[in-house]
Amino acid sequence: MSYYFTILSPTDVPLFNIAFGTSKSGGDGIARFRFPDTAQYMNQFIIHSSLDVVEEAQWMNGNMYLKHIDTYPPASAYISAFLTPSGARFLLLHQPPQLPSNSAGAGGSMSGSLLLGSGGSSSRASASSVAANPTSPQTEEAVRQFMTEVYENYVKTVMSPFYRQGMEIKSSVFRGRVTAAGRKWL
Amino acid sequence: MAVFSLIIINKAGGLVYQREFQPGLRKLSTNDYLVLAGTFHGVHAITRSITPKLPLAAIPNPPITPTTATTPSPNIASPSSTSTPTPSSSSASAGGYTYPNPGVPATGLESLETDKFRLTCFQTLTGTKFLLFTEPTMANIDVVMKKIYELYADFVMKNPFYQLEMPVRCEAFDRNLQGWLRGRA
Amino acid sequence: MSSATKASRIGEELWKTRVDKVNAELVTLTYGTIVAQLCQDYDGNYHEVNKQLEKMGYNIGMRLIEDFLAKSNVGRCANFRETADMISKVGFRIFLNIAPTVTNWTSDNNQFSLIFDENPLADFVELPDDGRAQDELWFSNILCGVLRGALEMVQMQIEAHFVSDVLRGDDTTEMRVSLVRYIEDEMPPDEE
Repeated sequence: MSYYFTILSPTDVPLFNIAFGTSKSGGDGIARFRFPDTAQYMNQFIIHSSLDVVEEAQWMNGNMYLKHIDTYPPASAYISAFLTPSGARFLLLHQPPQLPSNSAGAGGSMSGSLLLGSGGSSSRASASSVAANPTSPQTEEAVRQFMTEVYENYVKTVMSPFYRQGMEIKSSVFRGRVTAAGRKWL
Repeated sequence: MAVFSLIIINKAGGLVYQREFQPGLRKLSTNDYLVLAGTFHGVHAITRSITPKLPLAAIPNPPITPTTATTPSPNIASPSSTSTPTPSSSSASAGGYTYPNPGVPATGLESLETDKFRLTCFQTLTGTKFLLFTEPTMANIDVVMKKIYELYADFVMKNPFYQLEMPVRCEAFDRNLQGWLRGRA
Repeated sequence: MSSATKASRIGEELWKTRVDKVNAELVTLTYGTIVAQLCQDYDGNYHEVNKQLEKMGYNIGMRLIEDFLAKSNVGRCANFRETADMISKVGFRIFLNIAPTVTNWTSDNNQFSLIFDENPLADFVELPDDGRAQDELWFSNILCGVLRGALEMVQMQIEAHFVSDVLRGDDTTEMRVSLVRYIEDEMPPDEE
């Protein structure tokens, strides 16, 4: 499973983004999207295209975590969203290494330590694995935990007196904490 | 049990505050109050400097309270006694004489009494002096003094527009001081 | 060590009974805003910002000392070591609810360090990443001024500066305090 996480300001300005891979099931935490390296902007296209859905979904219930809200089948990209009360959007794109239908059967082909440079599957699927099924309740829960932890750190970061509202978040501390949260939950 | 009036003198001997709390007191002119403050400041310094010292040989004896108006107090101190880290070394350099109780620095005039009133002086560690005129029979003046100091710290020192060492014109201080004294009476 | 224990007890007691509490974030954000605004006003001249913070602290210290004395009712310290304990265990305790460690005394007992395990002023703070703030800005420099102002009012001239700060990536936050001299302007002329 590969992830692309981005924070958008209330006026849709990207404040922060990071790409990382799963660390569960022997993953090495390195993102391997299906697009060629030259087409990483695809992630940004896909994630931004889900904003309309976010705007609809945000009024459906009072939760900050909107769960899985959008799918882009051609790239089998799944989008989960989280809203802060101030209107910032946390969007997480997750993309399984193969199509979800295949991934269940592709388990055990390689172990994480052998994956360097293999570019393909980075997860050893199992029924309970976060990586196995992007829409399973376990995944939803893991993403919720991830979002909540990022939210806590986001609040601390924007409380820094040297951070101006609407400015790109450059803090390496924050980046480190998001990476840690990703490693912990995803 | 009345408090007649309060005078505050800054560390340079200038009058910064003066208020009466009882009707019918004879008023002095502003100039007279300034002179009073300056004079008291001088007398206070003199009383401290004439605190008798005992020969070093007398130290092992129990401390003897000097028979002047000066009484050692743990709260009021002369800066000089802290000029060296340990009191014993300071006494050695003073030529074999020391204050009766080396741990307690000498202070100046603390109270002055007549038939009709008592003047109590409290000097803070920062050098500000509070002079309180009360009835001679009044008890627990230290409690009143402490409260006045707290009110001063709150409403004068914490007022960002009060300039240090300048005359106190803080309406909130007046109000709280009078309110508290009235509530007490 | 008895003076330290005594100071701890006084600080504890005052903190519990005499001190009005405010929300910590309010303090942190207010102070942070001031520093950030200064950095902007002085156009990133961090030496000047340090100086201004120190000056602001100095003015605070000269006023705060009266509050400290009125509340704590403590007497004059017998020596500088006792003063250090009072600063850490009573002063910092009642105003910031921290008690920095007093350590690294010089042999003449005139210099010590305060090690801040926590610093409420610097919560959430990340210094600007302009490549200079990390080396030049002492974010909590106001504290140096507070100590200087407060001690000057009780006849001690001191010099205080930070030597390290966790905000800069150091392991500890340490302030160095040196006694310059006891001010004896009120001293009777015949004294030793």
